[in-house]
Amino acid sequence: MKIYERLNKIDRRIIYAILFVVVTLPLIFPSVLKVTPMTPVENLFTAVDKTTDDKALILDCSYAPQIKAEVEPMAIAVLRHAFKTRKKILVLSLYVEMIGLATRALNQVVEEFNSVAETYEDSIIYGRDYVFLGWQPPPIVPMLGMGESISNIYVVDYYGNQTDTLLMMQRIRNYNDISILVALSGSRIPISWVSYAQNRYGLQVGVGCTAVSGADFYPYYQTGQFTGLMVGMKGAAEYEELVEANHGVKGRRVASEAMLSLTYAHLIIMLFIVIGNIGFFLHRRKK
Amino acid sequence: MKKRIPLILIFVAGLLGVISFVIPHPSYQVYDAWIRNDLLRVLSAFAVVLALGSLLRVHSDKIRRKRRNWQYSWLLLIAFAVSAIIGLFGGVAADGILPTTIGSFSYDIQTLYENIVIPLASSMFALLAFFMASAAYRAFRVRSMEATLLLVAAFIVMIGVLPLGYSISKHLPAFVQWILNVPNVAGQRGIVLGIALGVVATSLKIILGIERAWLGGGE
Amino acid sequence: MSLIILCTLVGLAPPSNVRAYDAPDDGGGVINVEWQLSTDDAQTDAYEIYRSENGSDFVKVGLIGRSRQFYQDQTTEDGILYAYKVATVSDTVRALSEPSPEVISTPSWINVAKVNIYVAMLIFGGLILYYIYHARKGKELFIRKIAGLQAIDDAVGRATEMGKPILYVLGLGYIEDIATIASLNILGEVAKKTAQYDTKLIVPNADPIVYTVAREIVKESYTNAGRPDAYDPESVFFLAREQMAYAAGIDGIMTREKPATNFLVGYFAAESLVIAETGAATGAIQIAGTDALAQLPFFVTACDYTLIGEELYAASAYISKRPLLLGAIKGEDWSKVIIAAALILASIIGLVSQFPILSLFQ
Repeated sequence: MKIYERLNKIDRRIIYAILFVVVTLPLIFPSVLKVTPMTPVENLFTAVDKTTDDKALILDCSYAPQIKAEVEPMAIAVLRHAFKTRKKILVLSLYVEMIGLATRALNQVVEEFNSVAETYEDSIIYGRDYVFLGWQPPPIVPMLGMGESISNIYVVDYYGNQTDTLLMMQRIRNYNDISILVALSGSRIPISWVSYAQNRYGLQVGVGCTAVSGADFYPYYQTGQFTGLMVGMKGAAEYEELVEANHGVKGRRVASEAMLSLTYAHLIIMLFIVIGNIGFFLHRRKK
Repeated sequence: MKKRIPLILIFVAGLLGVISFVIPHPSYQVYDAWIRNDLLRVLSAFAVVLALGSLLRVHSDKIRRKRRNWQYSWLLLIAFAVSAIIGLFGGVAADGILPTTIGSFSYDIQTLYENIVIPLASSMFALLAFFMASAAYRAFRVRSMEATLLLVAAFIVMIGVLPLGYSISKHLPAFVQWILNVPNVAGQRGIVLGIALGVVATSLKIILGIERAWLGGGE
Repeated sequence: MSLIILCTLVGLAPPSNVRAYDAPDDGGGVINVEWQLSTDDAQTDAYEIYRSENGSDFVKVGLIGRSRQFYQDQTTEDGILYAYKVATVSDTVRALSEPSPEVISTPSWINVAKVNIYVAMLIFGGLILYYIYHARKGKELFIRKIAGLQAIDDAVGRATEMGKPILYVLGLGYIEDIATIASLNILGEVAKKTAQYDTKLIVPNADPIVYTVAREIVKESYTNAGRPDAYDPESVFFLAREQMAYAAGIDGIMTREKPATNFLVGYFAAESLVIAETGAATGAIQIAGTDALAQLPFFVTACDYTLIGEELYAASAYISKRPLLLGAIKGEDWSKVIIAAALILASIIGLVSQFPILSLFQ
């Protein structure tokens, strides 16, 4: 086979093998790549930071297991941000298959903080600092219902406690007591939050999403319907950077560690595209 | 009659939905709230039962008739039964009537989810990286002016979104942000407007009974 | 008295011009309270809102942060007279304002704030209905060629000649998704052709309700084509609800059955490329259609034909050529023209208003 034919028709298995090596090596030998936070992420960070003591923020962990790698670092970064700055936070999921992931992120960050807390005040206490509302189908019910009363929609929380008996919920009654809702998702759920909660109740919405669905959300960020936007692994790395730089939170930065893999993967794909085009040109010339 | 009742129902439901948008008065909203908060929840619960029943029926049938790959149907039924029993009786925080640990080995629903569902789904999603590489290699050829433009924009965005992009030029990430915020959004807005109008038109056609494919075929 | 003296000594000024009014365009039970900031706002911790019912004592009902001038009281009962006071709070010192005039909360029957949406609904709905009415009168309506829909016949023919099956993937959407309904329309047409040519059809589903509808549609199509005997009930089945499980199942079908033609029409998420690229690797001809914007680039890259957004919604009109459906497409298109004209006009006005020369005309 002539060289241009080889370049034009590289076996996909060779592409997969090279990509596998290039992506895996930096993960086996991880190092944190510093990123420069961009404006959409900074806006989200600032909005969360501005949450006052009389309000809470809601974290909607509606990301499926397949996008956990991209979106879970966002959940962890936002939770670290909230706990470090003592912002009250409500966590929920709109679908049952995502509850496990929300639990995982919560447990991890609570454990991180409580393992170094020396006093009761320093600790992260359930009911005082955070509440895990759980899941309430179908999604439209909590989206609209929480505008009237959060406790009416989530009568009991995920652990079976009466929601209105929890300390935090004495003051956090509905969207008026929520500064911002951060929706983490790989689908169109954030747009539903805008359609229902923001349209009717004026709720501020911030988004964390996969890189693939990020393109869908830029129009909404541009119009101000999304206060801020974290897109993909890089968005997560930027938020991690902001949380560490502004509040000194130390913890494993999974997204930042993956930046090197991401860089090499992009470069290798670009290389294959160039090789393919060289073969294409040579082939055309021969003809 | 078989087709007329659903058509009447869809007309009434569509009309009620539009009216609830216009009338905030509680004497109307209370019915809207009942439909949304109570009726929808009941319907969703029934849909779940329907799905599970269908799944079990299809695979039991496959096993009974020993159709091709019937062995995998056994796998599905066993996995279904095991996770259902553990989920129902093992409790949310491993506090149910069914014991979910043997020594240090735990098999509560959270452990099953974290160790089976999450890795499986993540692995499938990880395949996207490989498919993207092979699709990009195969399809991104400079065949025309538009293809060249697409290629150049793709290269700029791919470099610009990386930390490397900032090292190459401080303005590159901002330029990439501009590409994503302006030309990308402009193109998308056109399509989104069209889709939104398409949804309005199709919804109107369904409410008025002009579009009947959802009823299950036939005129 | 001692509090007033204390405030005077401390110098904490209360807010002024407290105004309370019924929240407009709501279902009642809400009163908006506005005030002018205290001159000591910089030293304030917060503002407390007090309410009295029918002339009774004032009771605290809310708290809001410094530099805020608005509070919405959502705990009122319609028909009761309320008056409000707002207090500047600094540590333990409070400075109460004068009471607001009394107000009653009442529910509204019409949400007047959304009048622009009603107008838009009337215009666009009216246009669509107008063209549907015109179509009923027998007027010929032109619709441009859509390559993906033109190719359906050829694609089905290819599968028949090769003796291989056709795979029809409806995507992850629910029955209420417009993309799913549009896809079901196309499925009906494809099923009619496979019935005529005796080609095997495989329709895996992700949603149980969509599965039951798809089954009925395929069965009806085979009956309408005069081939009820050729209908295989196993050809339409429920596969998996979960996204990647669904993709894995479809990939398995593609690699085992090696269909000659793949239809990927409906709502898709990230699994679109997993499915499309596997289909491309098996050498099948692929016709895709979705309104999920993020997936369009993947389909365009990996498939032979792609229906973009509303081309998918136009499918039922395009294939059936039913006048009522064509009329709706026409109405949509004219609505788009109006929106485009409005956008262009608004952009021109916006641009022109930036020019300083306009200040000459003020």
